[in-house]
Amino acid sequence: MNIKFELNGKQVQFSVDGSMRALDLLRENCGITGPKEGCGSGECGACAVWIDGVTKLSCLMLAAQLHGRKVTTIEGLATDDVPHPLQQSFAEKGAVQCGYCTPGMIMTAAELLENEKMPDREMIRKAISGNICRCTGYHKIVDAVEDAAEIMQEMKS
Amino acid sequence: MVLKRPIYILTASKAGSITSSMNTLLSIQEIGRRSPRFDALDKALGKEHFASDLYPKEMLWAGALRAGIPHGRINSVNTARAEALKGVHCVLTRKDVPGSNRQGFVYWDMPVLCGTKVRHAGDAIALVVAENRQILARALKLIEVDITPLPIIDSMDAALEQKASRVHDLETGNVLKSATITKGDPAEAMSHCDIILEETFFSPVQEHAYIETENGVARFDKDGILHLTVSTQAPFRDRFEIARALGLDHNKIHIINPYLGGAFGGKDGATVQCLLALAAMHVRGRSIKMWWDRKESMLAGYKRHGARMHYKLGAQKDGTLVALQCELDYDTGAYAHLGVEIMALGLEHAGGPYRIANMESKGRCIYTNNPIGGAFRGFGVAQVCFAFEGMMDRLAAKIGMDPLALRRKNALVRGDRNCAGVTMTHSTGMDECLSRLSDHPLWKTRKKWIAAAPPFKRRSVGISAVFNGMGYGRGLADYAIAKVKLTPSGFIRVYNGVSDMGQGNASTFVQIAGEILCQRRETMELIQPDTDRTHPSGSATAGRTTYTYGKALIKACEALRDKLFNRAALMLLVDDGSGFAMIPGGVRHLPSGRDVSLVDLAGMMMPDDRISMAEYLMPTTPEMPMGGETFKLGFPHLIYPFAAHLARVEVDELTGEINVHDYLAFTDGGRVLNPQVFEQQVQGATAQGLGYALFEEVKTREALLETKDFSTYILPTSLDLPDIESHAVETIEHSGPFGMKGIGEVGMNAPLPAVASAMAHAGLPMDHAPFTQERVLAALDGTKRIDHEYKI
Amino acid sequence: MITLLPETLEDMWEMFLDQPDFKIMSGGTDLLVRLGVSPEQPSAVVCLEKINALKTIEKSRDEIRIGSGVTLTELLKNDLILKHLPILHTAISTLGSPLIRNMGTLGGNICTASPAGDTLPALHLLDARVSLYSDKGNRILSLDKFIQGPGRTLLSDKEILGSIIIPLPHGCNVHHFEKVGQRRALAIAVVSFAALLKVHGGVVEEARLAWGSVGPTIVRTREAEKALVGKELTLKNLNHAAALARSAVNPISDVRASACHRRRVAGNLLLRLAAL
Repeated sequence: MNIKFELNGKQVQFSVDGSMRALDLLRENCGITGPKEGCGSGECGACAVWIDGVTKLSCLMLAAQLHGRKVTTIEGLATDDVPHPLQQSFAEKGAVQCGYCTPGMIMTAAELLENEKMPDREMIRKAISGNICRCTGYHKIVDAVEDAAEIMQEMKS
Repeated sequence: MVLKRPIYILTASKAGSITSSMNTLLSIQEIGRRSPRFDALDKALGKEHFASDLYPKEMLWAGALRAGIPHGRINSVNTARAEALKGVHCVLTRKDVPGSNRQGFVYWDMPVLCGTKVRHAGDAIALVVAENRQILARALKLIEVDITPLPIIDSMDAALEQKASRVHDLETGNVLKSATITKGDPAEAMSHCDIILEETFFSPVQEHAYIETENGVARFDKDGILHLTVSTQAPFRDRFEIARALGLDHNKIHIINPYLGGAFGGKDGATVQCLLALAAMHVRGRSIKMWWDRKESMLAGYKRHGARMHYKLGAQKDGTLVALQCELDYDTGAYAHLGVEIMALGLEHAGGPYRIANMESKGRCIYTNNPIGGAFRGFGVAQVCFAFEGMMDRLAAKIGMDPLALRRKNALVRGDRNCAGVTMTHSTGMDECLSRLSDHPLWKTRKKWIAAAPPFKRRSVGISAVFNGMGYGRGLADYAIAKVKLTPSGFIRVYNGVSDMGQGNASTFVQIAGEILCQRRETMELIQPDTDRTHPSGSATAGRTTYTYGKALIKACEALRDKLFNRAALMLLVDDGSGFAMIPGGVRHLPSGRDVSLVDLAGMMMPDDRISMAEYLMPTTPEMPMGGETFKLGFPHLIYPFAAHLARVEVDELTGEINVHDYLAFTDGGRVLNPQVFEQQVQGATAQGLGYALFEEVKTREALLETKDFSTYILPTSLDLPDIESHAVETIEHSGPFGMKGIGEVGMNAPLPAVASAMAHAGLPMDHAPFTQERVLAALDGTKRIDHEYKI
Repeated sequence: MITLLPETLEDMWEMFLDQPDFKIMSGGTDLLVRLGVSPEQPSAVVCLEKINALKTIEKSRDEIRIGSGVTLTELLKNDLILKHLPILHTAISTLGSPLIRNMGTLGGNICTASPAGDTLPALHLLDARVSLYSDKGNRILSLDKFIQGPGRTLLSDKEILGSIIIPLPHGCNVHHFEKVGQRRALAIAVVSFAALLKVHGGVVEEARLAWGSVGPTIVRTREAEKALVGKELTLKNLNHAAALARSAVNPISDVRASACHRRRVAGNLLLRLAAL
């Protein structure tokens, strides 16, 4: 079937098989490899992307479900060649180790910061509880999200 | 707009596999600076390409048929129906493997494709190459395999039975290796002890659970070169393994090794390499991808060895440790991997970081039909830490001594012989770690905190003291060859020869080069391991990576620096290279105040003159403990990092849930090169260690996996872990680069015993990890859970 | 396999006619995990996500009606749920992870009919009813009749769960839910426990108690409920009710926990009411 959707600000169009997963369409056909596959069953969050601004698991979506939607991946989070504050904070605060969970983690955290201006550590931990990181123990990820929230507030004021 | 720091601007782009820094922070890469990792921003932007992110044009997919039963004789493999499927390029079986068909470090006991026998459910029997994944999946289902089941060896006890069916045809039955390390006269010494304690401990099989599962891409070119891009910890060793198994010339195998999406030991050894190479040999000229999904990774991937540890500890009433006798059994599953070496480290560390004059540790590494045991952070040591620290807590309770004081009383200091008999001649910060911990508020205010427990909660505070030998140990040269180059554009390029699986060694290499050559990160480049471009420098394992390659790199950078001074002297017509200093972007002649830019120097120098190389070999101990000769490699060690951890835990008396409320780690890793990367290692290892303590347990029933995916194998989420406070105890490791030693592993060893210590002091001594709610509730009820359901 | 995305119920009834075998997908968080490993793929997957009629939340005087396609995150953000159905709110907040809740729906959690379904004990105590839609009209069943066993419901061929009707629990002043999983997020319940109580002057006037993951469907124990009525929530009284609960539940052993452990915890969870 033919689908059209907006991918990181650009209209794209594909012919897809009904059983194709959204994650595979992005990675194999769109050259978007930021979203990763870690488990294929919604238990790790590495494949998280925004669908109309809501973070979803692209391994548990069919490609056809993207039709008519606005899809944002880690590649589309930076604007005008300036990284999103979260991307900057993750790098600066040591929240990135192997980096494989990072794109999904940042997408989830970015949605949190869209809705909550200054989340505390507990709120951050709750928000990212569907994103498994095996390297960091989460401590520095929470640091980075706190830091980015502050920076975003400073930028707004 | 007020910003508290500059914004990164994305400018540089990648050329080839060169990773260039993407920020314009004008900092010199200095040792000791808390600087962001070189690789971090690319990864945060989603731009880093891992092996699994490669989808070359006209790529094919390869996949293996797994045995599905744990033990049996293969009668026939019928591939006809699969081969007939449209879109299938080939279906390969044992008969299509040209070489020895054997993989595995030392023992070479693991077939690439099984032809006659299967030894565990994850064994590969056939290999399919197909146009796409859908066809691949269909083809795998069409292969017909006839296997006659053999008796299943699903536990070490079953393996040790007199008439047990043999997993391999060894004269020693299913015992791959047994060994005894002796020091002093433990039996005699035991008879003079005031107190003798005995206990048996069980530690679980643990899954590495790196988020990027095993994968790679291969292509066999018409010129006879096999190119592989693999998520591996040992690209240089892989060439020899592939060559041996498949009858290829290792010089014609080219391996590219991008950043790994985690590994922790699990990508040290054969995963996809030989299967991919075999596929590429049969479908030449096409790129072929193999990527295990999570279930295949859990089925066929390596695990931490489950262990049974029987301990008998003799001590005096004042807390002096006198004698230890222990028996350690490691279940290596169907294949040896590094099981013998892992057991050797268990024997070496069996007595903990303490002075014990008399020790006898006996070990057995045992074959079963269980999933394959292999290397994992804390390599054989994570297991015994649970046991010896458990004995320390039992002893403290028995003699009524403060558990921290007991540990300090016996902690190793320089000049002591450790439990295996190796003299501590290098940095030994064990007591300092404990001393610092004893001054911390989380320890000092523990009684008040415990007393404030809410209803249905029992609070307790535990500590642990651990160590972990660094490097390969004796018998295997722990070497690295570093290369650094001045590029025509005046950049410094580091050729990293050791995989970066996420630990950040590559970034630290840039920092080391920046320190010596005084350069900013935006004028530095990094090449990741590639057997055509970088030099063999061993595997990314054993806490050796930054130490060994770092030492070689310091020498290479100093050689380049001296060369730059001498060439600048030529350009400035001065006597010699003395009186020069490195400055960002160039060199300065201090007496005359004149500068020469690196670009100008690069223009003057011949290409091969712009390169410096150096190598380093880690020292080993000349002392050999009695009984240690039996180990060909990996035993014993000379240099040890140390750590003392504290855990404040709250046990729910209704559910058995343990909440780790606060966590504290003191680590002696010598001089810290980058505090951020240091904390990353401590926190990450602690997280894995807490998973090991609380939830993580690979379960099998009749040697078949029950924890097949991430919904049954329980990893800690962000809600299951506390903030992890990390402090460095900076001794100087004089042999190490700038005084550092590797701490990748030691942090893994401490959380399980720290939580166990808290449990013991809460009146809940645990001998079986992990401390699941069920085990804790059983301990609370004073009833023993029936653990024979899941045999070790 | 084809993917169908009807935008109205009417379109969907028509699509049903054309498909020999199809699966209905709401959030996809259960179905796609199962389809991923199944060698038998249906001819079509019919996604409900674009049907606006399934996405409403309405309150009348005595009831709240929730469209089956409302996501769990939307329910958590909805003030009506937090205010009037706090027990359901708590239960939903323990389900899966934020990512799962962004996709999964209340209708999906019910139709999956897992014994461990996190919303089910609360819905059961609230006497929730389900409204089933088909091209022939609607019918309403009580939730406890609708769910027959693990993965089994009374949903007919070409029928969907349209909405969930939840009577407001007037007068209940204790709304308690606790889930015991192997970890604190992304957990499948080992045991879950829901309690709705009317307590006045420290004395229990009415008690509704339900457990999840300790039987093929939700277990509600009238004996334990009766044992609490007229009593104070003391440890002694709760222990008595807990013993009755332990004998009422019928758990299994699996990779997550033994039956024995589940039974013990099922009783223990009642004791928590003493600390309220």
